[in-house]
Amino acid sequence: MLAYLIRRLLYALPILIGVNVITFALFFIVNTPDDMARMQLGVKRVTPEAIEKWKTERGYDKPLFWNTQASGAGQVTDTIFFGKSVKMFALDFGRADDGRDIAREITLRMGPSLAVAVPVFVLGLFAAISFALLLVYFRATYLDFAGVVLCVAMMSVSGLFYIIGGQWLVSKIWHLVPISGYAEGLSAAKFIILPVIISVLAGIGSAARWYRTIFLEEYTRDYVRTARAKGLSERFVLFRHVLRNALIPILTGAVVVIPTLFMGSLLIEAFFGIPGLGSYTIDAINAQDFAVVRAMVFIGSALYIVGLLLTDISYTLVDPRIRLS
Amino acid sequence: MSLLSVRDLSVSIGALRPVDGVSFELERGETLALLGESGCGKSMTALALMRLLPAGGRIAQGTIHFADEDLCRLTEAQMRHVRGGKLGMIFQEPATSLNPVMTVGEQIAEALRFHTGDTRRVVELLAAVGIPDPERRAREYPFQMSGGMKQRAMIAMALAGAPELLIADEPTTALDVTIQAQVLDLLDGLRRERGMAMLLITHDLGVVARMADHIGLMYAGHLVEMAPRAAFFAAPGHPYARRLFEALPEMAQEKRRLATIPGSVPPLGTTFTGCRFADRCSEVLPVCHRELPPWREHGPAHQVRCHLEVRVEQIVRKVGAGETASVGVPAPPPALLTVRELKVHFPIRRGILQRAVGYVRAVDGVDLTLPAGRTLALVGESGCGKTTVGKAILGLQAPTAGEIHWQAEKLQGLAPERMQMVFQDPFGSLNPRMRICEIVAEGRPSVDVARILEQVGLSASMADRYPHEFSGGQRQRIAIARVLAVAPQVLICDEPTSALDVSVQAQILNLLAELQQTLGLSYLFITHNIGVVNHLAHEVAVMYLGRIVERGTVAEVLRAPRHPYTQALLAAVPRIDGRRMDVKVAGDPPSPSNPPAGCHFHPRCPRAEARCREAYPPVVSVSATQSACCFFAK
Amino acid sequence: MKFVLLWSDALFFLLIAAMIAGGVWASRQPHLRASWRKVGQSRVAIGSAAVLAVFFAIAFVDSLHYRPQLPATPQGEVRYSTEVLSALDALLLPLRTQTEKTYSAPLATHLFAKETLDDAGRDFPPLRYPGTHLFGTDKVGQDVLYLTLKSIRTALLIGTLTTLIMLPAAIGLGLLAGYVGGWVDDVIQYLYTTLNSIPGVLLIAASVLMMQVVIDTHPEWFATSAERADARLLALCAILGITSWTGLCRLLRGETLKLRELEYVQAARALGVSSALILWRHILPNVMHIVMIAMVMDFSGLVLAEAVLSYVGIGVDPNTISFGTMINTARMELAREPMVWWSLAAAFIFMFVLVLAANLFADALRDAFDPRASR
Ligand code: SF4
Ligand code: SF4
Repeated sequence: MLAYLIRRLLYALPILIGVNVITFALFFIVNTPDDMARMQLGVKRVTPEAIEKWKTERGYDKPLFWNTQASGAGQVTDTIFFGKSVKMFALDFGRADDGRDIAREITLRMGPSLAVAVPVFVLGLFAAISFALLLVYFRATYLDFAGVVLCVAMMSVSGLFYIIGGQWLVSKIWHLVPISGYAEGLSAAKFIILPVIISVLAGIGSAARWYRTIFLEEYTRDYVRTARAKGLSERFVLFRHVLRNALIPILTGAVVVIPTLFMGSLLIEAFFGIPGLGSYTIDAINAQDFAVVRAMVFIGSALYIVGLLLTDISYTLVDPRIRLS
Repeated sequence: MSLLSVRDLSVSIGALRPVDGVSFELERGETLALLGESGCGKSMTALALMRLLPAGGRIAQGTIHFADEDLCRLTEAQMRHVRGGKLGMIFQEPATSLNPVMTVGEQIAEALRFHTGDTRRVVELLAAVGIPDPERRAREYPFQMSGGMKQRAMIAMALAGAPELLIADEPTTALDVTIQAQVLDLLDGLRRERGMAMLLITHDLGVVARMADHIGLMYAGHLVEMAPRAAFFAAPGHPYARRLFEALPEMAQEKRRLATIPGSVPPLGTTFTGCRFADRCSEVLPVCHRELPPWREHGPAHQVRCHLEVRVEQIVRKVGAGETASVGVPAPPPALLTVRELKVHFPIRRGILQRAVGYVRAVDGVDLTLPAGRTLALVGESGCGKTTVGKAILGLQAPTAGEIHWQAEKLQGLAPERMQMVFQDPFGSLNPRMRICEIVAEGRPSVDVARILEQVGLSASMADRYPHEFSGGQRQRIAIARVLAVAPQVLICDEPTSALDVSVQAQILNLLAELQQTLGLSYLFITHNIGVVNHLAHEVAVMYLGRIVERGTVAEVLRAPRHPYTQALLAAVPRIDGRRMDVKVAGDPPSPSNPPAGCHFHPRCPRAEARCREAYPPVVSVSATQSACCFFAK
Repeated sequence: MKFVLLWSDALFFLLIAAMIAGGVWASRQPHLRASWRKVGQSRVAIGSAAVLAVFFAIAFVDSLHYRPQLPATPQGEVRYSTEVLSALDALLLPLRTQTEKTYSAPLATHLFAKETLDDAGRDFPPLRYPGTHLFGTDKVGQDVLYLTLKSIRTALLIGTLTTLIMLPAAIGLGLLAGYVGGWVDDVIQYLYTTLNSIPGVLLIAASVLMMQVVIDTHPEWFATSAERADARLLALCAILGITSWTGLCRLLRGETLKLRELEYVQAARALGVSSALILWRHILPNVMHIVMIAMVMDFSGLVLAEAVLSYVGIGVDPNTISFGTMINTARMELAREPMVWWSLAAAFIFMFVLVLAANLFADALRDAFDPRASR
């Protein structure tokens, strides 16, 4: 099993390199640094000097891959590719347009993102599984039918409306919690509670419906018939046999997103003014701060790859067929 | 009063009636076999008894009295105590019928807890069904067990509630013959020991002959004959029963045409007036189409549902009925196809770099010779590598080593004009998106489709239809037509009849025999069915774990087997005369990735000695044509 | 009047033609007939299909673009407006042109906010077209219903063209990986795992940013602003396509792996049929239902994604009328006292009906065509 995990780890490396290359190509090959400078400085009224200045400030004035002016190792290291892409492996992301160190900013903003994302993940998973179980327990009844209709209706509403509606109702009409903002420590709770509830509600429709089909598929298996033939009650069959088998794909499927929880949610954080990585990304996009977007793409991918590894590990832990072979 | 008494039972699923007015009784300690071909309603009857019908299914009418209770009247909660308690059931597919993420012990304990409250008997039950080392096995997951072992565990589970009646739904169909023999012995032993009654659902006349006290023959949702075993086998009363016997290849004299039942089993949802067998019956009377035949006494405790009146004395069961179509057996002509030292190994990759740490030796040095116009049967149990041999010869699977010669020419890769293959699954072998004419012309677009279709006994008007409109037997004919279109000389037939009902199997076997005669085809016939071998083949090669352990003419190998494995294999086949042979093998076949040292068969061989464990036995010639790989073959 | 064929129009017509052709093909396939019958028997499926058809009809009419002729110059020279209109604009002429001064509530007779009137001090001024605005008017007095109807085309284009663009890659690579195996499979798997590991929104954000740079630094490529907006829309579809083909590709690879082992494929190989022909004749037709289900299932997700992306500012051109841009402006209006709610309500209703219909239709199709999903 250890060999298996090491092999998965080794397999992750080329993927990370691939991601790095794609990001590099996207940011430096599709457009030249000159294009970007012209765009940022406003198309009119750009002097070559302004462009040069913009490039030098950001270190975009170097050659892409090979610096003929430098000597020795500098020929490779003193280039855009090395400075902007290779260094990301060492978590060196450079500076944002406002001059702050991106890596530091990220560590600062991780906390608020997690404060929202973790409760959303845990509660959302729990709520969706419970709801799906409820539907499956009453399967082929009107309750089940109504539940499925509700799920489809809920997933047909854009996430934007959940947020706008929730903010309007809870904060503006009922004045229960502040409409947006954030505070450190325990007092964060009153800021977090609304975004968490809204996110859970927005996600429950599609998740519960999907889990329901997984449960129902499990119900068609032969071993369920065997369990019934033993005289076990329907509840016992559901909770001991079906649930146990269905949770394997559900939980291992959920594991993959755990590392990416650090990234926060773009929409929720932007709407509720939570100073996490999500709103950081949004701000960078709006300000067209390429360095920050590039860093976020890289971190997001790295976290996702960690998630894939975690999935493999959790599979080997949960499923005896993989654990023991 | 009988233990189980079923009256007028009907099951409906939507508008369909898979079981229609079935009545029978079963006494304590006896075995009743419900016999029938696919779709006759036998499994549905069993599920109705358990009240475990699939979604949408319900008991439309009738009563089920079991141990003085009417099961149809019980509430679901009461029924649960009967299920798995006094009424146990085991299913066909041991591989999927156990929960994959619970240990076998847990699953048995669950049944024990519910019905007796005592979970300590798990090990005792596992020992009772003959699982070696039960303490350890109880902690294992199903995927760690072999198929036979899983079925034993299923039986242990059914025994947990000390049932008075055990329903066994095709309990051995998914198992190999040697394992089937073990499981049947186990079931019979348990029944006698515990005084259980058993309801056996099966399509296999051999299993019935081996196990049953009474027999109920079903056809299209009806019971058509009820009889004690001896009476049924001596003088079957219903025309359908008699045709079934005649269609069995093992009943026919060698190389004769088998008697067949025309057409195929009517699909569910057919509406009938009169006798449901009327369209296929060779003795049909005018009244048969109009009126449902009544039950009539045929002998003591022997009833038949047929208009035709035949007295028992008139029935001399014709062994090997049907007209003779003699196939001359002259001295073997020169070899058309020669296979030498064929090996197919699949690497097992492990570790960080996925290096091959071992090989599954699926085929490990096989020699074969196939003369023109003859049939060579390659016999063995699942996993012995026989299908891989076929694919490697054809060129679908690259061999690891060895040579294949066509007369004097060495073959490499595919040779579509010379060799073709007929596959097992008539439903998987035709592309549902193509019309019959496209399928038949696939190999050679210029072929005369109409002529080929007629050659395989289909009408040319079928050319524009799609596969889903055809029954299993017709599909297999289409598959044969497709390969005939390229006019090959050798056909590799991979279990071409094992997915078909007996009555349809006979049609296909006859067709193959006919084609061999008219076209001079050679067959490499891959099968596990000894009866088919006996009927069709000239030579036989027996495979065990990637190697051929015995070869010879059919007469030699089937009448005087020299290898202990061949002997055990033949003994394990349930015979319809109910006779049993005493050569038994224990245990499961070992894995081809890690074959035992010395003779591969020694862990299971009753005659194994010290030297068998040390060296692989040499090929010992017994006669000019027969040889076996055993130290004791002489 | 001069007809204008935008790129997206051409692709959209192509798509509709393909859908009709595909529908005719699929209804001719006897093995699919039972599944179609199942769809036809479901009232939900018929109802949602009808709703979708109405939406598609609106989008179709909205895709017939032209530039109206301007009054001839004194020299008699024929000139065309730089404004590109569509047949829908012509049909909705009253809605488009009957603008008010600013906000008015649905079916109101007076403006929403008091104004200083010449004669009677501050009061609600009467509307120019009282009672005609079903969903009221927006800040600049545009009819909200008109805006909502115009948004439909954008939503449908994103929902369908994206899949159309990614389809060749997903099918081609998926079948190739599954059938050929070996290093081809490894390369394709590597490709989609890598693309898949970049979080979708971020990849889209980065790509859209870059695309913006390209478009903004090359203003000379586009004759009219409509063309520029159109290019941006198509680019967005392409970007969404590139980030979403991996799912279908993996699905098809898995299915092909299964089909490859089926006996009819083995039989074809034994008959000496070439690999290309096997893929074309045996594999492709047997995965088409998966492609169809995936297309319909993706549709609603894409419509929702458009709104979010446009809202965040990485979607369509801010001048393109879409649900996302509508919500974006409407959200600010919610903060006004008293609240202006009708733009949001209109966008909500239309989007909800569209996505709900798509979801229900997708469900019905999946139930009918995917044997595993049937309950
Ligand atoms: S009733 Fe008639 S058709 Fe039916 S089996 Fe008897 S003879 Fe044949
Ligand atoms: S060689 Fe030995 S172990 Fe092998 S079959 Fe013969 S007697 Fe049995």
